[in-house]
Amino acid sequence: MASREVIVPKNDKLNVSRNFNLPHSPGIRAGDFIFLSGMLSTDPHTGERSQGTMAHETRQTLSNMRHLLESAGSSLERVVKINILVYDMLEFENMNRVYREFFPKDPPARTTCGVQLSAGMKIEIECIALAG
Amino acid sequence: MNVRPLTRIVVPAPRAGLDMSAGYGWVQSAAIRAGDYVFVSGVVAVDPESGERLNGTLTSEAHRAFQNLQLVLAAAGSSLAGLVQVRAMIYDRIEYDALNRVYRQYVPEGPPARTVWNVRIMDAFKVQLDAVALT
Repeated sequence: MASREVIVPKNDKLNVSRNFNLPHSPGIRAGDFIFLSGMLSTDPHTGERSQGTMAHETRQTLSNMRHLLESAGSSLERVVKINILVYDMLEFENMNRVYREFFPKDPPARTTCGVQLSAGMKIEIECIALAG
Repeated sequence: MNVRPLTRIVVPAPRAGLDMSAGYGWVQSAAIRAGDYVFVSGVVAVDPESGERLNGTLTSEAHRAFQNLQLVLAAAGSSLAGLVQVRAMIYDRIEYDALNRVYRQYVPEGPPARTVWNVRIMDAFKVQLDAVALT
């Protein structure tokens, strides 16, 4: 059987699973793939939720996702599938514009949908990536 | 046996209308192949040639979405029979049975693992199919 390993961000402040005492791991490496838990916008200096505009939350969340993937030896370039959950589809373009900055070429497969998110956050992002 | 690290292969849209990146500006590849799997971007009811939105009933949209999914999977060297997991997203739970009636026509035998999500979908579409398949 392929190995299963918990992955965590190098920056402790971004370990939301532990800091908020939530029953999930930041990510799991299973064989050739890494599966990340849904990520919200978190301030990398304080570890608190960082609410703001859709553009701000998208940028902060993807920056944190990059950090988490790189902590595990992977990268945004290795992401194969992303799921985006937004609080209101009217904000799609505000998300999409910032998203493009992180994936300028050969972007991952992606599915976006509108849902109600916890704590008044505007966006949650989860992904599957190839391990390093 | 796969050679590590696995490569990540972009699957181009098989028809012009299915290129949501060019047509709609959505920052996504139609699908990504990685190892034995293909990960498909959310598929909605657009005309595969023109890209025009084919908003309709849940039934008509589900048929179109499945046919589009079929096209993308074929381009990735897979098929509906290779589906492993599907998230079927619908705009209203009341359409659950309408979805199932169409759904079972496309995966009659040993259907994939599935979750149905009740969500908001772009451009007022009523259904979106999110799929992982074996290549």
